[in-house]
Amino acid sequence: MAEVLLKHISKAYAGGPTVIRDISIDVKDREFVVLVGPSGCGKSTLLRMIAGLEDITNGDLLLDGQRINDRAPKDRDIAMVFQNYALYPHMTVYENMAFGLKLRNMPKDEIRQRVTRAAQILEIESLLDRKPKDMSGGQRQRVAIGRAIVRNPKVFLFDEPLSNLDAKLRGQTRIELQKLHRDLQATMIYVTHDQVEAMTLGDRIVVLRNGDVMQHDTPLALYNQPANRFVAGFIGSPPMNFLPGRIVADGTALRFESAGGAVSIRLNGSVHQQALAAYAGRAVELGIRAEHLTDQPMNRQRSYFSPEQLIVFDAVERMGSETLAYFILEGQRFVARLSGDSTVDTSVGVSTFWDIDKAHFFDADTEQTIR
Amino acid sequence: MAQTILKYALLVLAALSFVYPFIWMLSASLSSESGLGSLVLLPEGFTWTNYVTVFTKIPLGRAFLNSAFVAIITTSLVLISGAMVGYALARLDFVGRNAIFYLIIFTMTLPFQITLIPNYITMVRLGWVDTYFALIVPFALSSLSVLLFRQAFQGLPQSLIDAARMDGAGELRIIFQILVPNILPTVLTITILTFMGLWNEALWPLIVIRDEPTMTMPQLVTLFSVGGRADAQLGVKIAAAVMLAVPIVILYLFFQKHFIRSMATSGMKD
Ligand SMILES: Nc1ncnc2c1ncn2[C@@H]1O[C@H](COP(=O)(O)OP(=O)(O)O)[C@@H](O)[C@H]1O
Ligand SMILES: [Mg+2]
Repeated sequence: MAEVLLKHISKAYAGGPTVIRDISIDVKDREFVVLVGPSGCGKSTLLRMIAGLEDITNGDLLLDGQRINDRAPKDRDIAMVFQNYALYPHMTVYENMAFGLKLRNMPKDEIRQRVTRAAQILEIESLLDRKPKDMSGGQRQRVAIGRAIVRNPKVFLFDEPLSNLDAKLRGQTRIELQKLHRDLQATMIYVTHDQVEAMTLGDRIVVLRNGDVMQHDTPLALYNQPANRFVAGFIGSPPMNFLPGRIVADGTALRFESAGGAVSIRLNGSVHQQALAAYAGRAVELGIRAEHLTDQPMNRQRSYFSPEQLIVFDAVERMGSETLAYFILEGQRFVARLSGDSTVDTSVGVSTFWDIDKAHFFDADTEQTIR
Repeated sequence: MAQTILKYALLVLAALSFVYPFIWMLSASLSSESGLGSLVLLPEGFTWTNYVTVFTKIPLGRAFLNSAFVAIITTSLVLISGAMVGYALARLDFVGRNAIFYLIIFTMTLPFQITLIPNYITMVRLGWVDTYFALIVPFALSSLSVLLFRQAFQGLPQSLIDAARMDGAGELRIIFQILVPNILPTVLTITILTFMGLWNEALWPLIVIRDEPTMTMPQLVTLFSVGGRADAQLGVKIAAAVMLAVPIVILYLFFQKHFIRSMATSGMKD
């Protein structure tokens, strides 16, 4: 059992601004929770507070129901993997992994057993006598994970453990981390600025921005029902397209008019009609994902919108599996995800079809999703 | 080409002008007193008597042991205290950290002579005159050591300390088992600079030690040379000076590279 509960946690560095504001998060037993957000939003600070490396200014940190705010890092039964691995340069791989166990006065035999076992899991048995400087980044990364595993902790913390690896290795390690989580059946809290990592690894994801929680939910919920404009723009690649405008009510007709007037979308009959009726006359922002903009007429029964004006793409990226087509509308950068065999080209006018039921509308003032 | 030759000629000349007095000293210590006047390069009237005289007249062996004891213990203390204070200044958060650091730096600018008298009075009050304490304790904390350790610790990643803390290491273990092994060049630099400084120190021992069995080598040799016990025999004085220089020269031969680096890092050259 290992449940981590953050209750109204905040953090202000001495003489500095508040970097974490009243955050409450629950991490369930054996859950893989990812904290994601742009650089500087306080992810590491939050993780270091859980580890005990940083004082908690306000709030309670509970591990299995016990308050551990004032417990020393070594007594928390929590292990951490650092971004730069933080291996002890003057020790061999074996010594690196054994160090924490030795300090806990574990018998030599058991230390050997645990290190050997972790080395097997991570396939680094042949490296045990090496020093960190004689290993590749990927190997060091494994040792760093091994150092956490041997302790058999209740909770694993990871601070951007993949960001120093090249893209290919990052992809591989991501899959191995998933497997590791399954095998160890441990609670894991993982920090990253990379939303792809967050989406692929997390059972649940906490999106942070400037020390506030923006949303805490499953990957698909974040993707399909973002709570606000920030989450909508942060999660997903390519990022969501946005278009500022306002809601106009004309008798019974309800429309979204873009600020520049180029787009006027009829909302009657769409899933948004009811919620947006209350916004008549107010500024909103339309958000629509690349895959909900197509060059093929929609024959489904849902409401869609097709601008009268033809769209001229200014760049087309053919990936084989899909085609990304870019254009600018009222000064906003847009991207459409078309099928891999699409024949669209730049400099030719194309009709586009927007799946309005899949679009999102955000309150222009609060940036919250209008539901 | 001509330029290269000129350059080397100048360098050789410079090297000779540094080395010559040293060779002359060695030769003089091995010359008879009457041969000293005509000495140019090699000993005149080769003899060991000067050394024999030195060793019979003063307890040079004992002084060597005293010097070695004091220098080794003090250097160890300088390393230990420097690492601890340097770590606190580099890595711990506490009120007045910078003020303390600047205060320590400030003490580096004070010439030793200014603190000489107050230090002496302190030694008298503590009853440490004529004891090893007087030779060791006032030098056990060095601002240079603190400064160099602080800089070196700041150059190491914080995560190294964090990882050790999560592994269960206390502050002392973090300093001496995790950090220090990774800044050995700095440790060697401090060791060399401190050891040399202590080894050559003559003024302070002259003030606090009057008891011959407790005297260090430079003190004993100085007293011997200027105190009349050498009977105005130049060769004997020089032999004593050679004995004083030998340990440092031997150390230098072993750690030549580090010596040079140490001088370069500290920016000191005398
Ligand atoms: N020791 C510190 N003292 C003062 N401010 C800090 C300290 N560490 C981090 N910060 C500030 O806290 C904020 C969050 O930092 P951090 O948690 O490292 O962000 P992230 O890991 O999300 O990039 C940043 O604005 C950073 O400048
Ligand atoms: Mg960070």
